[in-house]
Amino acid sequence: MTDFKKDFPILEKEVYGKRLVYLDNAATSQKPGCVLNTISDYYRSDNSNIHRGVHYLSEVSSEKYEKARDKVSKFIGAGEPAEVTFTAGTTDSINQVACSLKSILKGNEVLVSGVEHHSNIVPWQLAGAKLREIPMDEGCNMLPHSIEITDKTKLIAISHVSNVLGSVNPVKEVTEIAKEHDVPVLVDAAQSIQHMPIDVQDIGCDFLVFSGHKMYASTGVGVLYTSERFSGIIPARGGGGMVDRVTLEETTYLPPPLRYEAGTPHIAGAISIGAAIDYMQNIGMKRIRKHEHEIYSYARDKLLATDGVTVYGNTDEMCGSISFNLDDIHHYDTGLILDKMGIAVRTGHHCAQPLMRTLGTEGTVRASFALYNTKEDADRLMEGIEKVRMMYA
Amino acid sequence: MRDAVQDEIIAQFDGLEWLDKYGLLISFAKELEPMDESFRTEENSISGCQSKVWIRTYEEDGRLIIDLDSDAMITKGIIALLLRVVNNRSPQEILDLDLYFIDEIGLKSNLSPARADGLASIIRRIMKVAEEKVN
Repeated sequence: MTDFKKDFPILEKEVYGKRLVYLDNAATSQKPGCVLNTISDYYRSDNSNIHRGVHYLSEVSSEKYEKARDKVSKFIGAGEPAEVTFTAGTTDSINQVACSLKSILKGNEVLVSGVEHHSNIVPWQLAGAKLREIPMDEGCNMLPHSIEITDKTKLIAISHVSNVLGSVNPVKEVTEIAKEHDVPVLVDAAQSIQHMPIDVQDIGCDFLVFSGHKMYASTGVGVLYTSERFSGIIPARGGGGMVDRVTLEETTYLPPPLRYEAGTPHIAGAISIGAAIDYMQNIGMKRIRKHEHEIYSYARDKLLATDGVTVYGNTDEMCGSISFNLDDIHHYDTGLILDKMGIAVRTGHHCAQPLMRTLGTEGTVRASFALYNTKEDADRLMEGIEKVRMMYA
Repeated sequence: MRDAVQDEIIAQFDGLEWLDKYGLLISFAKELEPMDESFRTEENSISGCQSKVWIRTYEEDGRLIIDLDSDAMITKGIIALLLRVVNNRSPQEILDLDLYFIDEIGLKSNLSPARADGLASIIRRIMKVAEEKVN
């Protein structure tokens, strides 16, 4: 089995005298050396503002920035690069859509899944929409055929993969149903883009959002894909670089994507997404999916086979995160001991309080995997859990 | 100013490995009298902690009696230490305290910011109660 750890310098690190086992990838992933070099090279030799300067460096950085957009566009199967906007991240992307669609959403309804992150709940509430959950079964399998679309339903906004459970939502089935009612669909791909091949045309969504930092690129940058039929929506932000003609009475905008990128964007960040895509595509997304699935299943099976461990969610397809609790031990107490054993997990509600209520718990321990995790990491987690139990016995 | 109770705590933790420090906190947690269920209300809870923390205070012969509890063991262990230092003192004494033991046993710098904030919230609440009693 290929060891991808060697590509990630930080994973050589020891914490508390033990080799770091990094299982907090749903929060943020580590960065491969090639992405780090791209960021450093950009600032060392190409740094300049884009689409503005007449000078050499500005042309170089503009070209690299647009090349990154082109890579993203191909990576997600968009019709053309103009459908790809660089944003500050998933949360920002969703907020921008909510802001742009505010006049339609206000007083109406957005359908969400039962496993949503707060970032796919709060922006819609801020836009004045009411939220309704699409039903799911006990294992947290979404039941797309129970979707009830009314005249009030103006958008369906669902995560592709749950940041808590690792459950995969049937996004394609949802878009098919939504199309029958002419309701647009936004897919939050923050927890899927790094794990599996994504094709927006195959999924059939109108919006797809994700962050750079969870897919081996920089923090502070993300993507908003907008399908052609929504390419004219009003921009959420105004400023420099997105306008055609400005007078104090009226302003006309540039065509997309620049229309949606007011101000100086995170140039190095966008370029780092391009580098991360190169890295992943060199391995191959199908291969990444297969490789991760083996380790994910190995870890999940071990947890399921352990007495006194509750593993949350059980859906037909899963990836990335596994949420669990040890009987009678607070998730926080578990996380603190694991930390001191060099194992990085996250504990708490994972910004998904409605889901926690459904699961009937205040919080969980979440181990989340990336392509560099190994079976040995899963074994270390199991040893850690054993130690936790001994300490609280 | 150094005080004997805090110095004793520091000596107990001195030279211990992290897991042993936690082991010690867990044993203190187990010794701490649990707060009566009826006092574990939303009103008595302190926000800013990853685990739930409840506080109840009352005055007795000019001394402030503090009752603290948490649903997580490590937090409860830290609470037990805190109570050893602050409980059963006059409000003015509490206000004058320099809680240096937290830093010296590594609880402040080595715990996650969320946790350190939680501890800070607990201390802030105790100080606020003491201040109200003095004024």
